[in-house]
Amino acid sequence: MTNVLSVNAKAESSRWRTVDIIVVAIIAVAFGVVFYAWNAYVWEWLKPLGEPWEYVVSGMWVMPAVVAPLIVRKPGAALFAEMVAAIISVALGSQWGLDTLLSGFVQGAGAEIVFGFVMYRSFGPIVAFIAGAGAGLGEALHDLQVWFATYTADLQFGIAALEVISGAVIAGLGGWLLVRSLRRTGALGAFKSGE
Amino acid sequence: MSFMPAPLGPIRPAFLTRVTPAARLVAGSIWLVASIVTLDPVVPIRLSVAAVIAIVLWSGLPLRRIPRRLAPLGFAIASLTFFSILFAGANGDRSLDALFQFGPVRITAPAVTGGLAIGLRVVVIALATLLVFGPSDPTQMADSLVQQWHVPDRFAYGTLGAMRVAPFMADDWAIIGAARRLRGLSSGGPASRIRAAGDRLVVMLVAAIRGAERLALAMDARGFDSGIRRTHFRELKVSWRDWLTIAVASLVAVAALTAGR
Repeated sequence: MTNVLSVNAKAESSRWRTVDIIVVAIIAVAFGVVFYAWNAYVWEWLKPLGEPWEYVVSGMWVMPAVVAPLIVRKPGAALFAEMVAAIISVALGSQWGLDTLLSGFVQGAGAEIVFGFVMYRSFGPIVAFIAGAGAGLGEALHDLQVWFATYTADLQFGIAALEVISGAVIAGLGGWLLVRSLRRTGALGAFKSGE
Repeated sequence: MSFMPAPLGPIRPAFLTRVTPAARLVAGSIWLVASIVTLDPVVPIRLSVAAVIAIVLWSGLPLRRIPRRLAPLGFAIASLTFFSILFAGANGDRSLDALFQFGPVRITAPAVTGGLAIGLRVVVIALATLLVFGPSDPTQMADSLVQQWHVPDRFAYGTLGAMRVAPFMADDWAIIGAARRLRGLSSGGPASRIRAAGDRLVVMLVAAIRGAERLALAMDARGFDSGIRRTHFRELKVSWRDWLTIAVASLVAVAALTAGR
């Protein structure tokens, strides 16, 4: 698909164009809005599933950290997207307030390290899967200190394991499938990922 | 958007409204860290009292609207405290006396104090969040992060531009739902509802990305990516108030953590 914005798409690889910034920011805003609704209307009602099983869906929270880098393929995309999504859910009134920013940082960093490890050159389902797991690991390290410090070691391990697996499956593979659907609509014409 | 909270305003000028948002963020983060490094419930209680005093005296926030804003937290605090006590590792420690025993459920004193400390963290964090974000709007926060912390301006103002679009996304979401119904794509069971929500998300993101591309083009047309050094319309100066706020917040955090032991 021809697009005015795709003219310089290949000329510069690591520099962020305006369109990269705005598209990542808007995707992150969309996820921030989804997070707010999810936190307020879904999450707290999953408690009856029993600890630690509610964490099978925790990968939802780290989706921007995988989806944004898969689209724009720039260094920093995971961290930027996850931080913006966190800021939006704080601004809307997340029950975890400022701590959401801390979560966003460690989750984004977890995925960022994985994309950095492959030098921002590979964006297939396997890298996405590992990046999702990385984001889930960051989430787990944070949550065990901040929210589950009193829990039994078994439960702590269960929560951490589910966060990593859920991150890998929901955010990693789910995020990769989501980007594939977006590519098929032609919406990613301004990016290398849209070819 | 109907499910979003209304803004807290109107805010009257007060001490904290004249502190730069970046300095308030530092001060709030110090309290956040102080509340999460300990399992002693006295610390979050002390910090909550300090935060309430700061909100009442120096924030300029409309006090009568705050309880309603914080009310939804009640459920999160209650469930977090309850499960933190119930599932505490300390309950399995047979060398500790049980405070309460019923069948397999055994509750010990360290579990109760630790659980209360974790539940009360939510209170400290919520109040600190109000003190950080309450007295200013997102534009001032972005200005401050760019001017005081040297956050790259294209990212800060690009994000601000993207935030403006959020309300339209909710409209898109509703329109996409209506369009699906019109075409007879109704969803029945829970599985098909989840799939339908996924389909709607893809369509919403496509619309959002196309909107973002147009917004980026419009911003570039106005020289957003010109490379010329940006000057600031609203200059925020770091003053003694910023340093005083950070110093007092640090002292309160240290006192809350160490007093009486």
